[in-house]
Amino acid sequence: MTTQTVVVGSPVGLHARPAAMIATAAGAYEEEILLSIEGEDEVDATSALMIMTLGADFGASVTVESENAAAVAEIAALIAKDLDS
Amino acid sequence: MLKMFKKKGEQIFAPTAGTVMALADVPDPVFASGAVGEGFAVEPSEGSFTSPVDGELILVAKTLHAFAVRTDGGAEILVHIGMDTVKLKGAGFTAHRAKGEQVKRGDVIITCDLAQMTPLVPSMVTPVLLTNGKDFAIAETEIGAADGTPIITVRKK
Repeated sequence: MTTQTVVVGSPVGLHARPAAMIATAAGAYEEEILLSIEGEDEVDATSALMIMTLGADFGASVTVESENAAAVAEIAALIAKDLDS
Repeated sequence: MLKMFKKKGEQIFAPTAGTVMALADVPDPVFASGAVGEGFAVEPSEGSFTSPVDGELILVAKTLHAFAVRTDGGAEILVHIGMDTVKLKGAGFTAHRAKGEQVKRGDVIITCDLAQMTPLVPSMVTPVLLTNGKDFAIAETEIGAADGTPIITVRKK
């Protein structure tokens, strides 16, 4: 299991557009990919809606977890990027 | 009319009064492409947004511009009020229900002053989306449906 914690780089937080882009990227992997913010339940990274339920604002720390290290690296990089520009 | 009773499925209604349109006509490529989910959209004629189904309110965005309901059958339906409304950070929106509550179709979830909001954002077109398309599919879509009839029917895959 690989985990990586990154800071949200999209100014709007993980809302519709960034969440959809992350969910689409996560859907390309067979392994489960989970996202969480401290103190909250993990959510499935392939669901844009579940990503939105994290309520992760710009600057929030999000932990990515998966058996697939490449998936963790890709999803973490997306979260850290400004996906709304 | 018989058509809607023919097969079992969950019926999703418009969450607000206005003109129902195909998702492809939404003026935002991310929504129009179906990347967030498949469904339909409404150009609202009033600023009252209600639950499109019976179920549990699983999301009320902190910024109050979106909410989602999970039906008893498990379909997740997102109502996203307007385009780029996340940037308003909640200004102008009022939430009437809280995450975790059971809601009925037609229950008012979020309201806003439509005339006041419209100039502040690119569009108030409101997509209504099935976001767990892995497990559910849209079985029927009736964009031209009369007020008060279901727009889409979703069914477990």
